[in-house]
Amino acid sequence: MIIWRYQKAQSIAHRMIVLAVFFLLISFILIGRLFYLQVFQGEKYQLMAERNRVSIRLTLPPRGNIFDRNGVKLAGNRKTFQAIFTKEQTNDVQKTLDSFSKLIPLDAAERTRIEKEISRKRAFMPVRIKEDLTFDEISAIQLNIPDLPGISIEEGFTRFYPEKDTTTHAVGYVSLILEEDVEKDSPLLDLPGYRIGRSGVEQSQNEWLKGTPGMRKTEVNAFGRSVRVLEDNPPVPGNDLILTIDARLQKIATQAAGEESASIILLDVHTGEVLALVSTPSFDPNLFNRPIPQNVWNKLINNPKRPMRNKTIADIYSPGSIFKLVVALAGLESGDITLHKQIYCSGKTKVGNQQFHCWKREGHGHLNVVEALQHSCDVYFYEISQKIGVDKISAMAARLGFGSLTGIDLVGEKAALLPTRKWKEENRHDSWRIGDTLNLSIGQGFLNATPIQMAKMAAQIANGGMEITPHLVKKRTEIPSKKLLGLKPAHLKIIQTGMGLVMNEEGGTGYASRFNLNGQKMAGKTASTQVRRITLKEREEGIKSQDELDWEHRDHGIFVGFAPLNKPKYAIAVVIEHGGGGARSAAPIASKILKEAIRLDMESSSLSLKEGK
Amino acid sequence: MSFFKDRNCYLKDYNLSIKEKLLRFNFSYLFLICLVVFIGIALLYSAGNGSWYPWANKQFFRFLLSLCVLIAVSLTNLRFWMKYAYLIYGASLILLLAVTLFGTVGMGAQRWLNFGIIQVQPSEVMKIAMVLALARYFHGASLEEVRSIKYMIPPALIVLVPVALILEQPDLGTALMLVFAGFGLFFLVGVQIWKFILIGILGLISIPILFHFLHDYQKQRVLTFLNPESDPMGAGYHILQSKITLGSGGFFGKGFLQGTQSHLNFLPEKQTDFIFTVLGEEFGLLGSLFLFLIYMIIIGYGFVIAARCSNFFGKLLAMGLTINFALYVFINTGMVMGLLPVVGVPLPLVSYGGTAMLTLFFAFGLIQCVNINQEMVIGRRGSIDE
Repeated sequence: MIIWRYQKAQSIAHRMIVLAVFFLLISFILIGRLFYLQVFQGEKYQLMAERNRVSIRLTLPPRGNIFDRNGVKLAGNRKTFQAIFTKEQTNDVQKTLDSFSKLIPLDAAERTRIEKEISRKRAFMPVRIKEDLTFDEISAIQLNIPDLPGISIEEGFTRFYPEKDTTTHAVGYVSLILEEDVEKDSPLLDLPGYRIGRSGVEQSQNEWLKGTPGMRKTEVNAFGRSVRVLEDNPPVPGNDLILTIDARLQKIATQAAGEESASIILLDVHTGEVLALVSTPSFDPNLFNRPIPQNVWNKLINNPKRPMRNKTIADIYSPGSIFKLVVALAGLESGDITLHKQIYCSGKTKVGNQQFHCWKREGHGHLNVVEALQHSCDVYFYEISQKIGVDKISAMAARLGFGSLTGIDLVGEKAALLPTRKWKEENRHDSWRIGDTLNLSIGQGFLNATPIQMAKMAAQIANGGMEITPHLVKKRTEIPSKKLLGLKPAHLKIIQTGMGLVMNEEGGTGYASRFNLNGQKMAGKTASTQVRRITLKEREEGIKSQDELDWEHRDHGIFVGFAPLNKPKYAIAVVIEHGGGGARSAAPIASKILKEAIRLDMESSSLSLKEGK
Repeated sequence: MSFFKDRNCYLKDYNLSIKEKLLRFNFSYLFLICLVVFIGIALLYSAGNGSWYPWANKQFFRFLLSLCVLIAVSLTNLRFWMKYAYLIYGASLILLLAVTLFGTVGMGAQRWLNFGIIQVQPSEVMKIAMVLALARYFHGASLEEVRSIKYMIPPALIVLVPVALILEQPDLGTALMLVFAGFGLFFLVGVQIWKFILIGILGLISIPILFHFLHDYQKQRVLTFLNPESDPMGAGYHILQSKITLGSGGFFGKGFLQGTQSHLNFLPEKQTDFIFTVLGEEFGLLGSLFLFLIYMIIIGYGFVIAARCSNFFGKLLAMGLTINFALYVFINTGMVMGLLPVVGVPLPLVSYGGTAMLTLFFAFGLIQCVNINQEMVIGRRGSIDE
């Protein structure tokens, strides 16, 4: 019987060895796994543990203020109060929300948003219930706070534009940051109330204005509650910005534009400072502080006068007769015309087998260059342009800034189009024809320009041929430009005289809009540009009066000018879309603004004289 | 002890004096066990955010109580356990049945019997009782007997009946451990390898059927185990956070009490099933390897004690309990390392928990008892024969 015992003991011993080997094998697998997790993947898991542990929360930096040239605030930050709700402070969410909506009604959409957010967020995370509380709402909440467990009032700030719609397109507006504005997963997206500039200097100077968000690194536990603060950097407020614009002139220009779809730019001719930049109709930039209601938005974007668009820099127009200033200057510079050289206008001229008409059917008779400008005679320019040639006209236009960006410190400026022989060959696959030159000579045809380019041209003629760059951000010291365009002062004087006659001599196209403020007068040039071709049939039937046409078929009214006549300081460009002609629509507006600008100058100088005493 | 005294005793080891027993007591074995418990208490202290409360203090007192049990059990006579093995098994089975009928629900499963002052977890008791019963059964079995299928029906039932009851609770981890411990003993006593292979194949085939009978949370755990990243905030959270905790410890660890994952509560059940990761986070690979090596040495001691034992009952008892202990270690560490699904098996001697500690010390007491009585000869029927 010992044998079975011996056999069994042998078998067990054998099997124990097998089992021991098996256990060792399992142990090696587990040890290998430990190595893999802790050594080979250790860094990855350390990173994940760190991401678990550290929560970064940003705090909102106040955006820089924006002031006009006289220190009037154009954009600032307004303190707001918002009602917030913290779930863990109440045991009945619905009851609190019910009693809240008895005080301040919440519509169904808001209510569902709030409830959704409450259920999504952790119990101690606050949820915004109502933004921008009025004083009455705040006191109503404060009085009833015992019935509103979980509700509290929190301070925040929002952008505020005291000048409302008068400075919109110069200053711009801000709105909440969107995912497409920043790189993916930017922490800024989680910063409630973080806004970025959408137009005007708010957009172009965003970097300067925005400030740096504060960063609070906290250690959080598994429930997201912060356990201790690891790092706390306070937000750095954005820098303030001083603009060249004058809030008073902005207001005057906006009022002068009235209901028109207008672009108005007022420049300092010496420095290029933009004193007023208005594109009407405008909108109140404060609208974008909170989610904009759909109907308001639709109204803004469906308005045919395009209030959202800064037309002064982003829209292009045929400059029309104001381009005659350029053609005249080109002729004087090239020697093809002189001050005294006269040309006869019979009301039309024939070039090749094509008939070209003057706007005055009966003709102007004999005219020299200043008279041609005064009456805006088309035939005069048809004749001289053939002599000067397209190349010299284009070159002069380019010298004055046509066809290229003015360099204004705004986003979205267009370069517009200055046609040349080469341009036409490359883009239209056709040679430049004489008819093209004639069209160009009266500012029609392929040529177009932005209102800011027109203003720049006017300023450079007025300042005696110095190149300027229009700008909105005030420099520490604004010095008059000394950059010569290389134009003869005598020739510029002739052009200026012509522009003076337009306004101040009977028969001048802008004569009706003249002013004389203690001897200070203005100068300018009108233009009316057709938005559609006048057919031969219409010409035979007699041209309809502008008032008879639909608004969108009326001519654009354009005016460029400067003042005072004898010592130019301000240059202006006014474009009235479908205003029905420059003399009629644009000139009176320009006149009003220049007159006010001079009057304000006189007031302040008499004030400083008084103070000097 | 009269039942073997009336026989003709010719062996000197029948009545060892207390002194003799203490001389044969394996103190280094006990030392290693206590070392693991102390590591555990230190980890519970850390898991309590550097505090004795609420876990470390209790664990310490449980350790003292368990130590007394270990010593007391080791000083008993091995024949006593041989004699009452079936009785103990039967009683455990009744307790297990009682728990299905009157048990307290805790953590979503019926596991506890409430006797007023103390709570008993019969499934833990069964881990020892089943080994006792199997050791008794196979003690006198010859190789030929073991190889007959008819002879293997009773031991199969000894395993399967409690497994069925425990699965009913439901406690997948404990049930699996009983099955594997049973298999281990069957293997040792000489059941042919092909039978295991056959059962393995049958088991694989029946997995889809068994899966159908699992509770939803168990199904979820298995599915999550297969792809933990699929649901990082939900059911996969445990596994992912467990791996992060362990892995972020790196080679040297973050330092005692410096673990962020455990202290900031990213780790669920850190004081029980996932305590190994607290060690891994704070002491790195060095710390976790150290503990793992101690475990391997303890298991090795079990093998040596079993090998030295001259009677089959003691041999099988020591092996059964050692296999049981090894399963604890392997399943728990495999689970926290993401190699096995989360089945709720604690880390032996380290995880917070009274019953588990007490049962383990009881088992170590039995192994010590085997060690002390290694020269004892026990006859086929429990007395001295042949």
